[in-house]
Amino acid sequence: MDRTKILVVDDNPTIRKGLSVRLRASGYDVLFAEDAISATAALVTERPDLVILDLGLPAGDGFVVMERLHKNDRLASIPVIVLTGRELAANRDRALQAGAAAFFQKPVDDGALLFAIRKALDVSRGELRFDD
Amino acid sequence: MTESTRRSSELTAYLSHELRNALACIHQFGNILVDGLAGELSSEQREYVGIMLENASKIRKVLDSALDGTPDPIEESTNKIERVSKLET
Repeated sequence: MDRTKILVVDDNPTIRKGLSVRLRASGYDVLFAEDAISATAALVTERPDLVILDLGLPAGDGFVVMERLHKNDRLASIPVIVLTGRELAANRDRALQAGAAAFFQKPVDDGALLFAIRKALDVSRGELRFDD
Repeated sequence: MTESTRRSSELTAYLSHELRNALACIHQFGNILVDGLAGELSSEQREYVGIMLENASKIRKVLDSALDGTPDPIEESTNKIERVSKLET
């Protein structure tokens, strides 16, 4: 069975590096994009199993990426976890309404992020039961 | 929106983005070290990185409170995930 592929979209290379170390140690394959354009391209060419998405990106923001993803039938079911440095009040509800499976502000607790990833993957694969 | 409200809002957004990203890097790599993902630490090294992380956590609580007015965003987000997950099934 193929390993789960996670696309990390963040313009900060240190954040990308830190997330890749943590996610690879947890058994995931990790791909990267650093702006909205390369994120959209990676979604189409790589079709990751899940996206960890920053909101503040060059060449469009995370909301633009989510909009493009949800407009594409082949990609619309890919779960998105938003991980951002932006303020809570102006962004959390907007991100969840735009289709994000979860919203975290940086810095995120690694356990909480990994839990959210497992949950979002289970939901997207139809493996989550109500009583889990 | 008045000019001073707009400026205050822009300052909050700027501080949130810059400080949270810097803090996230300290938090991420501190935990990578503590968890042994870059090799095992001695007990003394582990203690010192623990002190760094503890203080990063204090700064984070100040930021959460000052910029967002929330005492515990991790707990909030985790609860939200549970609710969103169940809604989607």
